Amino acid sequence: MTEPLLEVDDLRTYFTTEEGIVRAVDGISFSMMPGQRLGVVGESGSGKSVTALSVMGLIEPPAGQIVTGRVMFKGRNLLELDEDELQSVRGGQIAMIFQDPMTALNPVYTIGDQLMETILLHQDVNRSEAREIAIQAIEDVHIPNAKAQMLDYPHQYSGGMRQRIMIAMGLSCNPDLLIADEPTTALDVTTQAQIMDLMLELAEERGTAVMLITHDLGVVAGFCNDLQVMYAGGIVESGTIDDIYYNPQHPYTWGLLESMTRLDDEQQHRLYSIPGSPPSVIDLPRGCRFRPRCGFATEICGQVLPALRPVGNPGQMAACHHAEELNLKELKADAAPTVEPAAATDSDLTDVDLDLQEADVEGIEAQRSAMDQVEGEEGSL
Amino acid sequence: MLSYITRRLVYGLVTLLALSMIVFTLLQLSGGGPLDRLKLNPRMQPVIQQLTELWGLDQPIWRQYVTWLKNYLTVSEFSVHNMLPFVAIGAAVVATVVLGKLMKSHWKGAAILGVWAIAMYIVFVNITIKFNWGISFQGAGDVWDLVFGRVGATFRLGLSALFLALIIGVPLGIYQAVRQYSFFDQLGTTASFVFFSTPIFIIGVGLQLIFALYFERWTGVKLFYVAGMNSSNYDTLSVAGKIGDTLRHLVLPAVSIALISLAGYARFQRASMLEVLHSDYLRTAKAKGLPRSKVIVKHALRNAMIPVVTLVSLDIAFMIGGAIITETIFGWPGIGRLYITAIGTIDYPVVMAIVMLIGIMIVIMNVVADILYGVMDPRVRYD
Repeated sequence: MTEPLLEVDDLRTYFTTEEGIVRAVDGISFSMMPGQRLGVVGESGSGKSVTALSVMGLIEPPAGQIVTGRVMFKGRNLLELDEDELQSVRGGQIAMIFQDPMTALNPVYTIGDQLMETILLHQDVNRSEAREIAIQAIEDVHIPNAKAQMLDYPHQYSGGMRQRIMIAMGLSCNPDLLIADEPTTALDVTTQAQIMDLMLELAEERGTAVMLITHDLGVVAGFCNDLQVMYAGGIVESGTIDDIYYNPQHPYTWGLLESMTRLDDEQQHRLYSIPGSPPSVIDLPRGCRFRPRCGFATEICGQVLPALRPVGNPGQMAACHHAEELNLKELKADAAPTVEPAAATDSDLTDVDLDLQEADVEGIEAQRSAMDQVEGEEGSL
Repeated sequence: MLSYITRRLVYGLVTLLALSMIVFTLLQLSGGGPLDRLKLNPRMQPVIQQLTELWGLDQPIWRQYVTWLKNYLTVSEFSVHNMLPFVAIGAAVVATVVLGKLMKSHWKGAAILGVWAIAMYIVFVNITIKFNWGISFQGAGDVWDLVFGRVGATFRLGLSALFLALIIGVPLGIYQAVRQYSFFDQLGTTASFVFFSTPIFIIGVGLQLIFALYFERWTGVKLFYVAGMNSSNYDTLSVAGKIGDTLRHLVLPAVSIALISLAGYARFQRASMLEVLHSDYLRTAKAKGLPRSKVIVKHALRNAMIPVVTLVSLDIAFMIGGAIITETIFGWPGIGRLYITAIGTIDYPVVMAIVMLIGIMIVIMNVVADILYGVMDPRVRYD
């Protein structure tokens, strides 16, 4: 069995704000194999982008801090590297492309300058060689007349073209891992499809592993092998695309799938929507974070945070106490138990003990070990 | 590009015409006249009569204005010393056409601007030109000579102050932004506010007291002078002595002005830099693996300097009007002092000459700023 390319272990990234400590990523673990295409889906604020930025080492102190965890990339813990070593990883071995291509390129430098900058930084080549590589990279993303395009400025390009340039820039140094943070969110649907096709083609051709962060389950389905669903800073379900789409084990995943429009759906019915809204990551509910919005919640859900555990098909994992009993696969949206919206805001159900407003970093450490205990207890259940 | 500049200059002319009308009218309506000082003396009555007729002060305002405008635009002296001005202009025209065809669009503006600046310099050095800007009512002589006799002093002070403010204020603002909320940032912000909100006469007099008066009293060393541009024995000094003498006169007034404008530059540069530091393209630069220093110097700085160019260009334009208060405090023989004296004695020709000079500079520097803007930001288009 080959070694995993990326192994994230109990990563916790917190941000200190005036309102309190934002637990943007709160104890997630996952791994990626070389060439694997992993989708990370979740609502805004679920911690998808912060996960990516943590892997890249782009969390800005002092507000943001990776409190604990390990990010093993090709056998090295990225969180322990110094800035110089990290810089050689960033852009070279792990590349990242961002959500809004309109603002992601520096307006005062030419496309060629910006592409060559990355190449000169990570490859041992001279300027004219770098120019050749850059031209090739532009050709690879199917932009015609690459030589002339080198002299253009970003504002002369459309959003789709700029995203192609971002992809060219990301892949120009043949990284092992490409992190794409909502690469098509800002683009129109036709361009979206073209960009995803292009990424798929290039990733398959080069065997690049891709972490695709998105809130669009449709985009994931066509692109990824595997999927993990994030909710309020944690992973609630992970598995292969087919496992999760056809046999969801977590009520949240099920809710997301049910709320998608389907062209092949012959019955006419209202689209399902998950009641309530995601919890504030400053003031998380006690126990399962999805509990206030979950129609299946029982007493235990209010007390113990469920761990991600194997359930459903082989290799599939979900963080739900009741995964086995629910049989979500067969459940129709109109048959789902409803939840009182008031419960979502019920104040005595939110966890006062875990309120970290006044806590300093030491306090966070203490809280973390307390939470480890909780998780330990729950493991013995 | 050329049509844009031409259009801007035409608008500029219209603006200047309107400016001259408004200021001329306001001066006339402000009450009192240039001869009022003489009225107290009954024996001066015939002189007043004579001067009123001579200067046309008894005529309606619009007539006086037309007369003034006609004179203002009349060349009274013109001679070309050699053929160089023609060569320079010819070369500039050729260079404009050639550069216009050859160069990449956004550098073109700067190159053409530079060519014309050099050509204009050659022209002015090799010709004598003088406009009929009238005679000062206060008997100080020809207005053209009066104003241009003081431009040197004003430029020396203004450019020194601007230079100091720029080389300290801009890096200060950048450093503050990069280390936002650090102790240094807080200190810089506080100091900026203190200097920005202190009137120049407090800073000026304070510097005079501390660095000239008290310093000499405590140490017995005369380090800085509090008034004038040079000592009376300037001509007898050696070259080193001359430079020293000039600097010892220049430092205090230049620092007074610089302290206030550098506070403004630092604030402005800090805000502009912060905006850029939080931009998406800076995150891209970091994600490329660029070292932090290169992210800031290459990717942030050039974007953050764009708004500052406009600010500095306009400051240069206003500088020509002289620093009225500072020049008065430090006995600096610049345009500012001439201006305030002329306003006090309602000396129309002098006031009008200085107002128009400031106006012309603002129009020109605005166009220059626009061209530089286009050089720094490739998104700017002139059509």
